Amino acid sequence: MHIYAFGSICRGEIHPNSDVDLLVIGGGDVAQYDPDIYSIYTYLRIQELWGEGNPFAWHLSLESRLLFSSDDQDFLRSLGKPAPYSCCARDCEKFLSLFRHARASLTDSCASRVFDLSTIFLSIRNIATCFSLGVVKSPNFSRSSALLLEKNAVPLSVVGYQVLERARVLCTRGYGPKITDDEIDAALRELDAVYDWMSELVERAKRT
Amino acid sequence: MSEFNNRIAAQRHLLQLVNGKGWESEELFGLSRKAIERWTVANRIDPRSHIVELVEAASSKLFFLANKSQEQVSEEYKATASEIALIAKAIESEIRRCS
Repeated sequence: MHIYAFGSICRGEIHPNSDVDLLVIGGGDVAQYDPDIYSIYTYLRIQELWGEGNPFAWHLSLESRLLFSSDDQDFLRSLGKPAPYSCCARDCEKFLSLFRHARASLTDSCASRVFDLSTIFLSIRNIATCFSLGVVKSPNFSRSSALLLEKNAVPLSVVGYQVLERARVLCTRGYGPKITDDEIDAALRELDAVYDWMSELVERAKRT
Repeated sequence: MSEFNNRIAAQRHLLQLVNGKGWESEELFGLSRKAIERWTVANRIDPRSHIVELVEAASSKLFFLANKSQEQVSEEYKATASEIALIAKAIESEIRRCS
């Protein structure tokens, strides 16, 4: 069994509100670990992700640290580099679709607004990560990856970005101030430009 | 739609069912354990009530979406659509009963 830290702590991005991402990799006994604490994978599934060149495999390959090994080996390092990432256009389209559904839900219903804002944050962040890995070839797995794409950065105000990020924290970690109707309306007004940006990333991923 | 996006849609559907009740203080923001805890405290809901049990059951089926953000571009888990549909139906009738 192997336990790794990955994500922000391995990038040196330490904030008072940061959580620590932990990964446990094991055999058949891996299900006994708490999914609220760990991302849980079998050795076989990790090997498959490596073979697919999945972005999560690249993330672990580039930003993980071994914390515990039951056999004194570093399992992830022993796998070498993941296969090249070849599904960028497909993944970017998936996140554009996710964005589209969340925005439609925001305008159709008031019953899941924070969740929808959180999903929009997720779609923006993940499309930026996939684009950075598959097109720019300079992978960025940060929570702020969409802001760090330089000339390709998301056209979203800092305040708008923070509202979406707060929604994500409310959904996942259950803390932070509630999001007001005015904040939701302000974020909504920025989403046309975000949609155009995401569509452009999809088109560029298709051409790559 | 991809399995990942289907599961996000399932989570949205469950939240809309739960929040259809119009809670005293705050809607349920998500299906993570901590979001559920916040919702029960904010609305003074008995944590042993049937509606909380059902929401927690839904959470456990979708836990990887509710809690994790780093590995979501991978399609990780086997489909549990029929189990989710059963839980959604139970939540719907429980909300109707409570309203």
